[in-house]
Amino acid sequence: MPPIITCRAIAKSYFRGSLEVPVLQGLDLEIPQGGYYALMGPSGSGKTTLLNLIAGIDRPTGGSLEVCGHALNDLDDDDLAAWRAQHVGFIFQNYNLVPVLNAYENVELPLLLGSLGRRQRRERVMEVLGMVNLLDRLHNYPRQLSGGQEQRVAIARAIAGDPDLLVADEPTGALDAANAEEVMALLERLNQDLGKTILLVTHDPKAAHHARVQIHLEKGVLDRTVERNAP
Amino acid sequence: MKFLHLILRSLLRSRRRTLLTILSLGVSVFLVATLQSILGTLDGFAHNPDSASRIAVRHKTSLANFLPLRDGDWIRAQPEVAAVMPMQWFGGVYQDQRNFFANFAVDPEPLARIFKEEIVAYSEPQFRDFVRDRTGCVVGQGLADKFGWKVGTVVPLQGTIFPFSPRLTIRGIFKGKRSSDEMVLYFQYKHLEESVSWMQGRVGAFWVRARAADDVPRLIERIDHHYRDDLEPTLSETENAFQLEFLKMLGDYATMIQTITAAVLVAILIVTASTMAMTIRERTTEVAVFRAMGFTGRQMLGLLLAEGVLLAALGGLLGIGLAVLAAGALRGTIGVSIPWLNDFQVQRATLLFCFQATLATGLLSTFIPAYQAVRRPIVEGLRAL
Repeated sequence: MPPIITCRAIAKSYFRGSLEVPVLQGLDLEIPQGGYYALMGPSGSGKTTLLNLIAGIDRPTGGSLEVCGHALNDLDDDDLAAWRAQHVGFIFQNYNLVPVLNAYENVELPLLLGSLGRRQRRERVMEVLGMVNLLDRLHNYPRQLSGGQEQRVAIARAIAGDPDLLVADEPTGALDAANAEEVMALLERLNQDLGKTILLVTHDPKAAHHARVQIHLEKGVLDRTVERNAP
Repeated sequence: MKFLHLILRSLLRSRRRTLLTILSLGVSVFLVATLQSILGTLDGFAHNPDSASRIAVRHKTSLANFLPLRDGDWIRAQPEVAAVMPMQWFGGVYQDQRNFFANFAVDPEPLARIFKEEIVAYSEPQFRDFVRDRTGCVVGQGLADKFGWKVGTVVPLQGTIFPFSPRLTIRGIFKGKRSSDEMVLYFQYKHLEESVSWMQGRVGAFWVRARAADDVPRLIERIDHHYRDDLEPTLSETENAFQLEFLKMLGDYATMIQTITAAVLVAILIVTASTMAMTIRERTTEVAVFRAMGFTGRQMLGLLLAEGVLLAALGGLLGIGLAVLAAGALRGTIGVSIPWLNDFQVQRATLLFCFQATLATGLLSTFIPAYQAVRRPIVEGLRAL
């Protein structure tokens, strides 16, 4: 499989006043299309920063990034936003659903950026809500859903625009074990059945176990890569 | 249009806060619209194009001093003069002080010619009856309707300036151009002159109609020049200037109203800015999520600005609606006692000004917090829980 993500000597530093704090230090990484990767490592190892850079919501201070066939360094803010809308689906630890929109409207949100008509949007929303088994919760607002249901709506929202890449930052961090398992199984299905490339950040070894490859970071550099044996 | 429901839902995120903001905007806009309309109405009196050919001639010292009635003969003889009419504010009260309306003692013959722009419909026979009847009077339709008067009704007036309380028989009812033109009673000057000994041969003012508006400056100069060295020198001025003198008794109302308007607009700006800053700050993470999903900074800015403008527009429309409703009530209450407010209405220009001001307020008050929110890096926004 050709790589969907190619990182070359990626570096990222933050500044606290005049003090430069390096987070990633010349990291090289390739992830093939359809891969399911988990980024692991202790706090401050740079895994979320790497995820953000790959997802195009942050910019590296050094190195180059090519994701989904686009050199992200070359894109301006508007092009990067359009690229994200087309290629990346986000899943957050706290779901981040819009509280004043119901499940249907939350899922429809990324589709508003495209050229789909109302009926096509509706068909797509119903399709993805069907994938996450929430067709009976269309009109429920986030406050009327359980944590697991909220995260499933968030996953439906992430895949609504049919992106190539799903990035998930601690997707099970706010869920109990049963819901966490359900969400991870759902992500696995999206990877296997729809061929979505998934990159997730997690502290949870059980969640990481669903990924086919675990990448361990340590102090901003690649520490080791562990491949899961085929089932 | 596909984002409209998003904007509306966001606006209703905190219903109580939105409602309170709309109410406070509404009250403020109502205040501005009403004050600006009062200003416009008062200005209308002092800048009335219909009175361009009319001159008020009075004693140079003050309105409390009188001019000899014979001055009217000399003024009437001037070639630029179309009509001259002695006119005296009587200030009579009908039954009760609360029944205030304007009442004047005039020469009945030239009345309809002097005020031909204001007295737009009347019956010639009725006005001839008025001329013939020394104790007769004519009243505006509005006044007649208010008190249920008809031709033939006897109206007793209690004199407040003059020691004379006439009982006047209504001989005619006329229609006026504006409401205020109909809230007036005219009776015969001769009746006043004959009843008050010290008014014999004297009058408070002459109302003069020039043949053309262009003649007015020359005529004013000639009249005042002629009586310059007289025992009773005159002060002639356009009717608009004369009205302005009265309005000045209210103080520098224009500055006062404009100052209050400016203060209210600043208050609206602060209220809306505070609401929008709070609303947007609470949604820092949400803005970041939207942008992560692919909304551009400009799109987010547009959504937030639209929300602020819509909020302000709703408040503005509420205020304008209240002002329009209140205008009718004001005309029927204070307007009866203050003739200048009898024509009170919220002018179209004021409506437009208020609406534009509220839209501008929405834009201005939202722009800074919205701009700051969309400028914030997405990763920072996502962390701001």
